[in-house]
Amino acid sequence: MNLSVRKIVISGILGAISILLGVTRLGFIPVPTPAGHATIMHIPVILGGVLEGPVVGLITGAIFGLFSFLQPGAPFFADPLVSVLPRLFIGVVSYLVYYSTKKINNVLACVLAGAFGSATNTVLVLGMATWRGYLPAEVSLTIGFLHGVPELIVAAILTVILVKGIQRIRTSED
Amino acid sequence: MELTKNITLGVYLPGETAIHRLDPRTKIIAATILITLLLFIKSYEAYGVFLIFTAAIIIVAGIPFSYALCGLKPMLPVLILMWVFQLFLYSTAEAEVLFSWWLFTATDEGLHMGNLITLRVLFLFTVTTILTLTTSIVNLTDGLESLLKPLRKIGLPSQELVMTMVIALRFVLILAEELDKIVKAQMARGVAFDRGNFIQKTRKVFPVFLPLFINAFKRAEELIVAMEARSYSGGKGRTKMKTLHPGRIDLAAGGIMVLFAALMVYLIISAVPRV
Repeated sequence: MNLSVRKIVISGILGAISILLGVTRLGFIPVPTPAGHATIMHIPVILGGVLEGPVVGLITGAIFGLFSFLQPGAPFFADPLVSVLPRLFIGVVSYLVYYSTKKINNVLACVLAGAFGSATNTVLVLGMATWRGYLPAEVSLTIGFLHGVPELIVAAILTVILVKGIQRIRTSED
Repeated sequence: MELTKNITLGVYLPGETAIHRLDPRTKIIAATILITLLLFIKSYEAYGVFLIFTAAIIIVAGIPFSYALCGLKPMLPVLILMWVFQLFLYSTAEAEVLFSWWLFTATDEGLHMGNLITLRVLFLFTVTTILTLTTSIVNLTDGLESLLKPLRKIGLPSQELVMTMVIALRFVLILAEELDKIVKAQMARGVAFDRGNFIQKTRKVFPVFLPLFINAFKRAEELIVAMEARSYSGGKGRTKMKTLHPGRIDLAAGGIMVLFAALMVYLIISAVPRV
């Protein structure tokens, strides 16, 4: 595997945004459920996958996961199987969804990539948390619904706005 | 709303203490051992010993306690909420009921689980904070690169991955300042970030996110040009001006670490499993 300077820098900076959203708590939208808050910390990972491909998505996801393991926002994240492993898939899924639907329509592809990326995060993290015995299955389902849905909507909207914004800058610079 | 005030991650407190002078590799390995131990600790005695050990490190490193822990401040409300939820939600069939009220039943299992998990979060946070507070980013990079070098043989671009991590750590603070500016600019235009319900609060995030991401991507482009202009080529054939030399102090620290790890392993194994 070879990493270009471009991939290194962009994954690093997207990882930094994800960490930043975590330490400033800006990435948390308070929702009163056992997981405490809906998150938008995974948006940089989705963007990494959509804008730069699966490798950047994977590395950004790893940084996001590692951070949420080392400075956990919720107790069950203090287990790498819950915090790191599921996050590796977010960027890859977003990339696959974006590139398989891009030909139809760019905006639609962004919406789908955001939604699927966010759903990957919700389903895998809660699935892992249940499997490892931190949350009972009914609670996971409730959280999944109460958090997953708003997260999914926010992620879909933000992905469209951000991808379009960044793509516009890039074409104007070229 | 001061966003950057409580960030201790990626901040380095320069110093000349024994902890500061350790080889970064020793510190990284020690931190990894401590984190691994944390994942297995299930008894309060073990946490007590762990607490004494971490407190000793903080004292030796000369970090003010208030500073080492201030990064926890924004996390506290969430931690307390989590603890309460664990208390009421986690239970098994044979758990002993402590008290119950309306729909909620607190069991000793839930209490134990809540305590353990909260303690684990607190210690994970403290260990990583101590590592970054006492190790400069250059040393951290050198240490990680040297430790991960063997992974190159199996095809992993370890140096490049370390570089990515370092960029991420570095840019947290740079982007935090930027975020501060954006938030203040929006507040000056009359956006009240702390008011409103869930949907209103979420909508206020958008005018902050777009400038943040666009600025971040602009900075990324600049950094790419700068790195390419200096012919950055990852780990291929690169040598260091300053090489790392573990000294006697590392041997001593290693010895202490092995003794502590042995004690912890003993405590973990001998802990009476709770039903």
